Amino acid sequence: MSLDLPGRTALRAGAYSMTVHRRSAAVCLLLLAVLLCAATVSLCLGDTYITFADVVATLTGETGYDRTVEVLRLPRTVLAIVAGAALALSGALIQSVARNPLASPDIIGVTAGAGLAATFALTAGLGYAMLGPSALTGGLAAAAIVLAVGSRGSLSAPRFVLAGIAVAVLLKSGTQLLLLAAAPIDAQRAQIWLIGTLAGRGWNEAAFLGVFLALALPFLIWAQRALDTSDLDDPTATGLGVRVTGRRVGLAVLGVVLASVAVSQVGAVEFVALAAPQIARRLARTSRPPLLATALAGAVLLVAADGLGRTAFGDYQIPAGVLTAAIGGLYLLYLLMTKGTRNEKNAAGRRPGLGLRARLERVRHL
Amino acid sequence: MSSPVLSPRPAPAARDRPPAARVARRRPVLVYSVALLALALITLASLAVGARDLAPAEVWDALVHRGDPVATAVVWEQRLPRTAVGLLAGAGLAVAGVLMQTLTRNPLADPRIFGVAAGASLGVVLGISVFGMTSIGQYVWLGIAGALVAGVVGYAVSTIATRNTGGGVVTFALCGAAIDASLSAVIYAVLATDVQSFDQYRFWAVGSLAGRDGAVAAGMAPFLLGGLLIALILARGLDGLQLGAETAAGLGHRVGLTRAAAALTVALLTGAAVSAAGPIGFVGLVIPHLARWALGASHRPMLALSLLFGPALLLGADIIGRIVVEGEAPAGIVCACLGAPMLIALVRRARRVTT
Repeated sequence: MSLDLPGRTALRAGAYSMTVHRRSAAVCLLLLAVLLCAATVSLCLGDTYITFADVVATLTGETGYDRTVEVLRLPRTVLAIVAGAALALSGALIQSVARNPLASPDIIGVTAGAGLAATFALTAGLGYAMLGPSALTGGLAAAAIVLAVGSRGSLSAPRFVLAGIAVAVLLKSGTQLLLLAAAPIDAQRAQIWLIGTLAGRGWNEAAFLGVFLALALPFLIWAQRALDTSDLDDPTATGLGVRVTGRRVGLAVLGVVLASVAVSQVGAVEFVALAAPQIARRLARTSRPPLLATALAGAVLLVAADGLGRTAFGDYQIPAGVLTAAIGGLYLLYLLMTKGTRNEKNAAGRRPGLGLRARLERVRHL
Repeated sequence: MSSPVLSPRPAPAARDRPPAARVARRRPVLVYSVALLALALITLASLAVGARDLAPAEVWDALVHRGDPVATAVVWEQRLPRTAVGLLAGAGLAVAGVLMQTLTRNPLADPRIFGVAAGASLGVVLGISVFGMTSIGQYVWLGIAGALVAGVVGYAVSTIATRNTGGGVVTFALCGAAIDASLSAVIYAVLATDVQSFDQYRFWAVGSLAGRDGAVAAGMAPFLLGGLLIALILARGLDGLQLGAETAAGLGHRVGLTRAAAALTVALLTGAAVSAAGPIGFVGLVIPHLARWALGASHRPMLALSLLFGPALLLGADIIGRIVVEGEAPAGIVCACLGAPMLIALVRRARRVTT
């Protein structure tokens, strides 16, 4: 029996079989190659330039560059890879569930909530140990508030995004209030954390995130399959006997947890979660972001942003979060201007009726 | 509060309007008196309340007779300039909000939400930290230029986006969020080169009236008064724009000219207000809705009321900040705490209609 799915190839190993989207697989390989290049360049560049051959020699044996490569640059690069992947995955999940390519954790307030809680932890003297748990709590709480405010029953409404923006503004004000009330030294530390930087972070954070991603892997594999059905509109899903709402909630929670944990380790790095899934989706030409390619794209983005910020501005080290925000903001504007922001599925899923704009005009014409 | 723009009823006939609104619309004199009285009381409170509370009689004494030296110093050197900056900036931000909501025909338009204030901030920061400017008379020009560039870019992007994707308010708000994020990142990158300005920026960036002296008030005044005057002159043209470009042109309004003048005025008002008080949000969002609710969507009453309500809100927020938190919460944060729930309420109200 041969399975004939367009663009897919079936793989079999004994009793197990699966289909692979050929273009996605090619994109994954491409992104992996780009990631390796970016990571290598990031290991080579810095205050002292180390040749590629020396980097390889250092990684495999002993050279004079052990400290620079293995203590300073390698942990930071590994952290960039895992944090970028976690942020990107969270973006892909939330965008798929909200069926809106613009709903990413930074826009719907998760990042702002984690930021507020982390600032509280830092300025109230709870110490770095409490940073992770409080950021996680804050992110989840913010997501719950946005959900409660912005939607009733359905996760896909555009109101959801608006509510997220409003709640994010409120949370950011709270953060600023805490910063102003805090002692200068605490405020400075919190400020650096809020901008999002990999400077001074290392194996501890990378290992934490790595272990977390490994633990999340079974859920991510489930998510890859669950996404196929969560995309169905409600009547079709009911007809097929799929419990969409439960799956959507599970996927959203997974996305929010991924974002909060990543943010708790590297700070509020913006727009990686927004851009990476869309880059992966456009490269793979699928209807929704393919997860593995998304993770790789996120890793590439953060490694590149960190490397650039470290090396491209002479004496000044620009935090990765600043670069991702500057570039990501422009990318968001580009996304908004191009036609692909709402795919056909979204357009079909929208309820017929007057948009706010049309209503506004009707009211004004009276 | 029920604003006509986001009213739950898609097509309200006059008799369907809530009775309160109908009564209010019939009595402009009453509305103006209440607004004037409120503004006068808040201004007086702004002179009296603070680390050293003064009785109204003491304030009057200090203002007119310059009696008690301590009270005179407090009133003349600290609270009067601060109050003047609050009055001007509040009026400027509120009127800028009215103009933006009409120009973009979008009920969520606000200098802060749309990234115009971030453009002005970038201009001011560049002026201070790169060109070494020290007085507001110098960097206010860069603030205005920054506001103009950010506003024009945002308007162009959101217009294209709306045409291509059919997006409405969400697209608009996201454009603002994107511009705001990009510009804030650039601001940070500029400031990262200079630790001292970074520390000062932290306090300016939240938007505050604290410590503004007479020079700041005098430096911003010409720009704001000029901008407010142009806005009032434009009122009739704006009424036309509200009907849509084609209708306005058909009625004999010069649409292009009105739009350009209104955009310049927004930049003038926002740039000057931000240069003096920092990027304060939500005054420009809340006040136009309040004014429209009280006296309807015609621009002359709306602008006049915004001139009274805007300063009242900003000074009120400043006073609340002085009282509630020990060591003062900046007015910008109080405004955000008052305004964000309002934004959420608007969002929820609008949602109820769609779904």
